[in-house]
Amino acid sequence: MINLPENELDFGIAGSEPTMLGQPNFWRRALKSLMHDGVALASVAFIVLLVIVAVFAPWISPYNPVQQFANGLSPVGAPVGPGSHFLLGTDSAARDVLSRLIYGARVSLLVGVVATSLASAIGVVVGAIAGYAGGIVESVLMRLTDMVLSFPILLFCVALIAVTGPSTRNVVLVIAFAYWTYLARVVRGQVLSLKEREFVTAARTLGVGHIKIIRKHILPHLMPTIIVYATLGIATSILLEASLSFLGIGVPLPQASWGEMISEGQQYFQSAPWLLIAPGVALILTVLAFNLAGDWLTDLLDPATREGR
Amino acid sequence: MSLVEPMPETDAVVVVDSLSVTFPSDEGVAEVVRGVSFSVGKGQRIGLVGESGSGKSLTARAIMQLIPSPGSVSAGEIRIAGNSAALSTANAPQWRGTTVAMITQDPLSSLNPLVRIGVQITEMLRHHLNYTRTQARARAVELLSAVGIPNPPRTLRQFPSVLSGGMRQRVALAIAISCNPSLLIADEPTTALDVTIQAQVLDLLEEMSATHHSAVLLISHDLGVVANFCDEILVMYAGRIVESGPTDQLIEDPQHPYTTALLTSVPSMTEALPERLVSIAGSPPVGGVAVKGCAFAPRCALAQPRCFEDEPALRQLDVSARRVACHAAGNATWPSRFQGPS
Amino acid sequence: MTQTSTLLSVRDLSVHFRLRRGPKDSRNVRAVDGVTFEIAKGQTLGIAGESGSGKSTVARSLVQITRPTGGTIYLDGSDVTSLKGRRLKEFRRRMQMVFQDPYDSLDPRMSVRDAIGEALSVSGLPGPRHDETVEELLRRVNLPASLARRYPGQLSGGQRQRVSIARALAVNPKIIICDEAVAALDVSIRAQVLNLLKDIQHDTGVAYLFISHDLSTLRFMADQVAIMYVGRVVEYGTSDEVFSRPLHPYTKALIAAVPSVTTRGRTRLKLSGEPPDPGNPPSGCPFHPRCPEAVDQCRLTRPELGTTDEGQSVACHVVLSRHGRDATRQVSP
Repeated sequence: MINLPENELDFGIAGSEPTMLGQPNFWRRALKSLMHDGVALASVAFIVLLVIVAVFAPWISPYNPVQQFANGLSPVGAPVGPGSHFLLGTDSAARDVLSRLIYGARVSLLVGVVATSLASAIGVVVGAIAGYAGGIVESVLMRLTDMVLSFPILLFCVALIAVTGPSTRNVVLVIAFAYWTYLARVVRGQVLSLKEREFVTAARTLGVGHIKIIRKHILPHLMPTIIVYATLGIATSILLEASLSFLGIGVPLPQASWGEMISEGQQYFQSAPWLLIAPGVALILTVLAFNLAGDWLTDLLDPATREGR
Repeated sequence: MSLVEPMPETDAVVVVDSLSVTFPSDEGVAEVVRGVSFSVGKGQRIGLVGESGSGKSLTARAIMQLIPSPGSVSAGEIRIAGNSAALSTANAPQWRGTTVAMITQDPLSSLNPLVRIGVQITEMLRHHLNYTRTQARARAVELLSAVGIPNPPRTLRQFPSVLSGGMRQRVALAIAISCNPSLLIADEPTTALDVTIQAQVLDLLEEMSATHHSAVLLISHDLGVVANFCDEILVMYAGRIVESGPTDQLIEDPQHPYTTALLTSVPSMTEALPERLVSIAGSPPVGGVAVKGCAFAPRCALAQPRCFEDEPALRQLDVSARRVACHAAGNATWPSRFQGPS
Repeated sequence: MTQTSTLLSVRDLSVHFRLRRGPKDSRNVRAVDGVTFEIAKGQTLGIAGESGSGKSTVARSLVQITRPTGGTIYLDGSDVTSLKGRRLKEFRRRMQMVFQDPYDSLDPRMSVRDAIGEALSVSGLPGPRHDETVEELLRRVNLPASLARRYPGQLSGGQRQRVSIARALAVNPKIIICDEAVAALDVSIRAQVLNLLKDIQHDTGVAYLFISHDLSTLRFMADQVAIMYVGRVVEYGTSDEVFSRPLHPYTKALIAAVPSVTTRGRTRLKLSGEPPDPGNPPSGCPFHPRCPEAVDQCRLTRPELGTTDEGQSVACHVVLSRHGRDATRQVSP
């Protein structure tokens, strides 16, 4: 092909360079961008708060989440409303709602992070191999991905857990198994275009091995995508975990989980609305925070969408 | 063409007067086109030459009022003949396409990929010239055969992506010329084309501008292309015009050291070749970075302390129609003469 | 040139592939078809041609990014056409490539030091000695050693292309393929890089295969020139011969079409039409529909490369019947 002189409109005005992970000014740029974006700042702050609460749950939470209190029920046997003793009231089994909410954050984050990490790892490996190898390997891996992708996720999880039995570990595995496909498809697409870039060809003509090319020239370029997808994946996983727990096949009782709390709360919504509102609001805020933080990361890391270009 | 004293505006189709274009940057504003003035006479062919970042494409876009965001025209104005108002975005629908039209380097980006070529041509004719559907179609076939498209009726039904680069540029030219613009801006129209196709497109551009009485502003990084096509040449460096004049004078007796260097750094096709090319040390300044003194001084073989202090104004040279922005030009007492090749 | 000085010898190189456009429309594209040339040690062969001429495919098949489907490549007398594994890696060190786009040929996430260091690791230099060698290589391409810490995004186009050259030099190649290596650079920078490439050749004796659509650049760089059209060499000779006395009508038109300040205003030989689709070339000589000198024979049989009385190789019935001999024999230059 005939080559073009450098596009004159692309002259190097400082600041138009993409933000790159690993480059010296990355963290400074990230912080600066965060300071200019109130919504992103609030989301990140909320996530940080959530992590602190989850990690230090035993010290922060006022009571033991599974303890049933003698004064936790009204004389007629109904849950006690929010008050000075129980800040967010108690549930039908006379347990403290705030403490359960705090311990529930632990479960949600744990499931979200672990399941997403697992899904990302599978997705990146499958996508990178399929994209780089091409040919029959690609066809097999991508058809497999399409198959998994075409299962109705919730039904699929219900069926799988019905077989394996509910446990936190199974919930994580099931979610990871359902979600690796999204990243696999995106990663494959990116690898397909990356492997045609001249710097990859240059590495090949130097005699650099395939594994090393993937590790040094391809994976680093996928990091922004992986990070963004993982952030959004955490939100989705938390929702799916809540759905499974709501259906009673998630995290086993008596361990607290937001989904299970919502499930129970809806039965008492007329008489004790706090049982539904507290975990519901926590869930919505958490998912929203991860989604908004994901949007911010997309803008920060993906130069193509920056500045409306 | 323009002298220091602008020519009577009745003879000019477009007058660009002290045009500056700025972009916001981390350090405030970057001025990437700085005080550019010239005018294009009726039917003239003017070449604007420069390297990446010289501001030549932005000058063209400023005339079209198409400066990409977040840039803006910060000073100066652009006037067209027979229209007292300066060109502006507000009245763009009246003049864009009819008084001033533009073709770009890659017609794939200026033609809508999802719309059939026929629709894109007839749209212009119906909008600007109030043609009926049948009239517009007949005219479109005429235009396409005039630009050398082998089978116009079939091409009208096709999408831009099925055509070769040369054919797309012909279509873009047909659209640009369809409303008889008094100025046609051609921004690197042949850069993406093979050399034999480039020759065809330049010929066609010459023929079309002549039959439609359009002046042409040809923007190119290639002095060879411009020298073969234009009556007048403007050389830009770092956002300013550094030299301008009639083609033959400018090529045979360049006055600015940058023009000289541009001429000698391209290997000749006919003359004996030196063992090494005369090259200019360093690289052009990054767009819009303010430099004290002459922007070319750091790369200039003739530079004296004065060149780093005050920026030379673009001045008229003796009685000829040439302008040059260099302290050394025409100065017999300047210390060392630039040594050409050989 | 004598047989002993031959570094790279390419015989009958072909790259054919099947192009599928639909379930029924699948055709054989001869991107490169029976190309033969030689490069001597320390010399430069220039290949010129337009889009679709196959000149870049020749480059890619030589470094085995695209596998050749026919022909043989000899480097230093040994057959390197279908190497695999370790021997392929070893071969690659002897033949390096500098690419067209300085904005794409360096990994934007790797510093200059790491990019050149990667090449040094491949050639087996231990890590601790990298810094010193990187500095030396940067000096050789006239870049300051301080550039080693920079990322490609912080460099200009000319600087990046110098880094690419330094990376190619890092493995001590015998031959460097420059595929439109200066095409994306501004003229003032282009002259610097061309001078640099000549200096390096002078100092190290490396050979170049210089691929360009720009004939004036080739005239400056090349000792020998091959002109390609739709996958085949149509004219081959020394740079002096081809540029001062072009024989093939295509070469003549190509040279005439170069817009040069020195020949401005002259009426020139014009070619009508466009290069054909390599997947569906015309019968006979692929150039005949555009050729001002075509005769009936050109529509029927494809001319092979033959030698003229003066020793220039050309694939044209008309020229060979006028000047030539051996029109049917495959030429060895």
